Amino acid sequence: MFSDFMLTHAWLIPLLPALAFLWIGFFTRLHKKRSAAIAITMSSLSFLLACGVTWAVLSGPITMETPFVQKTLWFEIGSVRIFMGSLVDPLTAMMLMVVTMVSLLVQIYSVGYMAHDPGAGRFFAFLSLFAASMLGLVIAVNFAQLYVFWELVGLCSYLLIGFYYDKVSAREAAKKAFITTRIGDFGLLLGILLLQITFGTLDFQELKVLVPAYIWISGTSFMTIVGLLLFIGPIGKSGQFPLHVWLPDAMEGPTPVSALIHAATMVVAGVYLVGRAYFIFSALPVVMNVIAWLGGFTAFFAATIALTQRPIKRILAYSTISQLGYMMLALGVGSLTASMFHLMTHAFFKALLFLCAGAVIEAMQDEADIFKMGGLRKKMPVTFAAMTIGVLAISGLPPFAGFFSKDEILGAAAAVSTPLYLLGTLTAFLTAFYMARLLFVTFFGEASPGCPATETNAFMRWPLIVLAVLSCVSGLWGHFAGFGEWVYFGAAEETGIDWVIAGTSTVLSLVAIGLAYEIYVAKRWSAYEISQRFGVLYTLSFNKYYIDEFYTLLRRTFCDGLGRILYWIDLHVIDGIVNGLARLVGVLSTIFTFLQNGQVQRYVAVFYGGVIVLVAYSLFYAYKVLTLLGGAF
Amino acid sequence: MQVIIFRKGIFMGDFGGLGIFFAIALIFPVMALIPAFLLQPRQPTKEKGIPYECGVDTVGKTYVQYRIGYFLYALIFVVFDIETVFLYPWAVRFGQLGLFALLEMFVFVGILAMGLWYAWKKGALSWK
Amino acid sequence: MNFLAIGTEIAIALLMLIVLAADLLLPKDVSHRRIGVISMVGLAVILVYTFGQYHIGASPTFFGGLFFVDNYALFFKQLFIIGMLFTILFSLEYTEKLLRYRGEFYVLLLSALLGMCVMASANDFITTFVGLELMTVSFYILVGARMTSEDSSEAAVKYLIVGAASTAVMLYGMSLVYGAAGSLVFSEVCRNIHLFYAAGLAGVIMVIIGFFFKLSVIPFHMWAPDVYQGAPTPVTALLAMGSKAAGIAVFMRILYTAFPILGNFWLPLLAGFAALCMIGGNIMAIRQTDIKRMLAYSSIAQAGYMMVGMAAADLAGMKAVLFYAMLYVFANLGAFAVLTVIDTERGGTSRRDITGLAQAAPLLAAVMTISLLSMAGIPPTAGFAGKLYLFTAVVERGYLWLAFVGFVMSMISVYYYLMVAKAMYRDLTPEEAEYAAPVYVPLTVRAAVLVSVFATLGLGICPEWLASLTNAAVQTFMR
Repeated sequence: MFSDFMLTHAWLIPLLPALAFLWIGFFTRLHKKRSAAIAITMSSLSFLLACGVTWAVLSGPITMETPFVQKTLWFEIGSVRIFMGSLVDPLTAMMLMVVTMVSLLVQIYSVGYMAHDPGAGRFFAFLSLFAASMLGLVIAVNFAQLYVFWELVGLCSYLLIGFYYDKVSAREAAKKAFITTRIGDFGLLLGILLLQITFGTLDFQELKVLVPAYIWISGTSFMTIVGLLLFIGPIGKSGQFPLHVWLPDAMEGPTPVSALIHAATMVVAGVYLVGRAYFIFSALPVVMNVIAWLGGFTAFFAATIALTQRPIKRILAYSTISQLGYMMLALGVGSLTASMFHLMTHAFFKALLFLCAGAVIEAMQDEADIFKMGGLRKKMPVTFAAMTIGVLAISGLPPFAGFFSKDEILGAAAAVSTPLYLLGTLTAFLTAFYMARLLFVTFFGEASPGCPATETNAFMRWPLIVLAVLSCVSGLWGHFAGFGEWVYFGAAEETGIDWVIAGTSTVLSLVAIGLAYEIYVAKRWSAYEISQRFGVLYTLSFNKYYIDEFYTLLRRTFCDGLGRILYWIDLHVIDGIVNGLARLVGVLSTIFTFLQNGQVQRYVAVFYGGVIVLVAYSLFYAYKVLTLLGGAF
Repeated sequence: MQVIIFRKGIFMGDFGGLGIFFAIALIFPVMALIPAFLLQPRQPTKEKGIPYECGVDTVGKTYVQYRIGYFLYALIFVVFDIETVFLYPWAVRFGQLGLFALLEMFVFVGILAMGLWYAWKKGALSWK
Repeated sequence: MNFLAIGTEIAIALLMLIVLAADLLLPKDVSHRRIGVISMVGLAVILVYTFGQYHIGASPTFFGGLFFVDNYALFFKQLFIIGMLFTILFSLEYTEKLLRYRGEFYVLLLSALLGMCVMASANDFITTFVGLELMTVSFYILVGARMTSEDSSEAAVKYLIVGAASTAVMLYGMSLVYGAAGSLVFSEVCRNIHLFYAAGLAGVIMVIIGFFFKLSVIPFHMWAPDVYQGAPTPVTALLAMGSKAAGIAVFMRILYTAFPILGNFWLPLLAGFAALCMIGGNIMAIRQTDIKRMLAYSSIAQAGYMMVGMAAADLAGMKAVLFYAMLYVFANLGAFAVLTVIDTERGGTSRRDITGLAQAAPLLAAVMTISLLSMAGIPPTAGFAGKLYLFTAVVERGYLWLAFVGFVMSMISVYYYLMVAKAMYRDLTPEEAEYAAPVYVPLTVRAAVLVSVFATLGLGICPEWLASLTNAAVQTFMR
């Protein structure tokens, strides 16, 4: 009974935050506290519902093969019928839990973080809208619904990155994020349209049957193109190489936003999409290879950049890209379980790390460079403890969350391809190193004199504690509760630990942390000298491999050249027409209004004028028809 | 789309004759008036410009407001008028119409009575 | 005699008499809200009753086929009743404060409604005419109901004079059609269409002109801005949604059942005038500063959009028109409910009166914005779905240029609709802040606007709910 009720009301989960958005946007935008209260109430309700749904999924007969689907006809144009509804399977349930929980915690945190911001009402409205769109994306029953929410998520990220719209850099970052992800979205849209044209449906359940049959009959060549196009969307949204450039810049938004959107939930939309449409991707070996290698490369590539960055949020941003690469790698080597497991644990510890970073930045009065911090350990003990847990989790040390999920991925990679496994292990080593660097530089050493940092307020502290606990236990829980029997593709997976792989990576991580300790705390070796020794590599990494500059160059030569031509056309031809039209509209408007002089005589005169013209028309018409018929009259 | 099929050879039908009749009827007075208009001598005086009222000089303003009561009485008269118009033929054929018509007439008279009640209550029947 | 078929009309007439009696029995100096409540309850019951009248098989008739109660008629009757019900709901306060003859106001509203319902079911020219006149005469009085306002009286006289002219033309047209076809029943006119000659065709055009007047199609629109502006705000609302929808209901029935064979004749006409309306209405609306006057011009444009659907002349087009008429009712309800409150509280509906409404009454500002966006056809409001249906229907029939005009003009319309939103949401200058009186929003208005907003957004997000109803309405139309 209860579980049925929960499942049939799963559609409420995205709806509640959406209502909060509307309500705040229209009514309480200017009241900070009321807005926060509404947003948090709705998020909590939606979290409770998500809990209920998860319980229903766990206790009921719902598995990956037999999801709960509820849909209603959304619109119908010609023969195309598009439905909207909710699809609940373990994957959805897991995502619902993660998204609602993280967004709830982030909203609570924001109460403290945004306390002095005059735009807090707007902020909560956007956060609610984001939660709504992400949740809508998660429960989508078909690609059309998914795409709508996918775009909404993109819109929210634009709005939130550019939240401080009076800052030029924020505006630029917002535009960059929007445009870069749009490039990916375009590929996705093409893929979706091809699916619609080929199969006549976008429904996941129907495609699940149709796609394998199609591949069985016609081979994989066409579907490979479709699959690659579909994958371009996740490349953009999940910050995979080469469309990752927007994610580090997205740190211009308020830190809770970074935590929520650009680390924990939104960027995993791409990973989720691949997971949701896994029945397409897994049947296409070429695409799977692309996904695996692109993911592995991105993981490694971003980790090398993170080694040398200085702003705290930027390091975390690159680590996010790197971890997303891990998830893609896992998907590419055929393990949905590992990917989703890592998605979940990553959401917790990355949100934790970002929120800690936010607390640090707030305490340091908007100073983001880690080398200007130091010694915060004593001043912010709770934050320090939380951050340490986060770092240990992401470094993959037992028994923290990252250990289990990362080993799962490495194990899956090792089973498929040794180079990929090596790449992953190397990345794990780098990850441990740069995260330890972040921790040591920020919290150890001597505090600079006059450092204003103090412990954060309760609103910001409690979410940290909750997330820290989750970062500790979620891996263990997933491991022992059998995450693999829950979220899987094909056959259920054993969540066993390959002790060789786990041991290797643990040892490597420990070595990396030790190394970082030696360099940054004990100062056995000078960081400066090391950077000098690796001269070219260091510069490359520090400048993010000049990818932004490369894009700028591309844009200058191609887009700007084309742009200049188009601008000229726009200025002289299009604007000419538009301005002319606007002037014409004005003139016509004046003429018509002149006719309307308020005298009823004129009204009736115009009326009868119309009558005479129309009657004349009818007589003329009759005359013409008669002439055609050849009759006289 | 189908083509309209007209009765062959007819443009205006029976109305055509009527229209021509009206046109000619219009032409006659106009023909009479136009020569008069062209030939008349024009000597306007002030006497000629004042309103003609049976040869009597007008007294006071010509815009006079009549009492609204006249109109109200006329309107209420319409209530009874309509009643009579329907009651007469109904009464003549009452034998054949039967019970149903009787009931219907009650409904009809009832509605009209409502109108009368309204007018009464609002004071339309008292000459103020 | 199947009295159940005209049950709706009988019930409305009865309700009208009850309300009249209640008004006569009620002392003059007490609140007349309870009369409004009586009419609302009655209308709600009738609305529920009409749902029961939907059918699948043959449609019931009355008066030997002159009165036809098919699903199409029912759909429109429900539309009128819903419009009337919520108009009464949001205008209780207005009626109480600004009108002298409050009881008569409700009676006349109901008689106008009766006229509309008769029109929706009319299956011959005489019934059409009776319904039309019942509605129009009621509206003449309603427009002048605000006796203390000169504008209102002026509007009433203008409406009466121009309306009388149009009635004369229409009646003349009907007589010519009768002369040509030898019958006034739509289906028989259709059967005798081969007897037509030029005078009959002139009659057809005169009938069409009569409806053009009702829909305020350019150039027969001249009355609309003055009347809309001068009339009491709730009456303006009804003119925009009720009167217009009633005109459309019977106009479509006449064109499709009496003159389908003359399609070659009236289709280009309809398309041309639809374009003229969309262009002219939207362009003229730009210059207006009074919101009611602006909505008058916008309603001209909206009539143009609906005529686009009629120009498609098939079931899809018809469905689109029904859909659009209904969503237009909800959009109008929202907009005019807000204007009614503004009119009551600030004594006017100019753009100055709504400035800064977002702070004085955020709910009203939100509703106004959503309603206007729906009229402009912005997703996710119902207006978008409606226009999508209209334009796809007409494009499939080959009128690509008409759809194009519609698109462009919708874009232009966004400008003046958003000007209103801007006025409501921008910050006030100090002197404006001094002028801006607080706005008291009665509970009844809150209820009405919430319903309208939920309907507008709901139908925008899931148009299928209403689309299935329009399907049912259309299915019994073509016998």
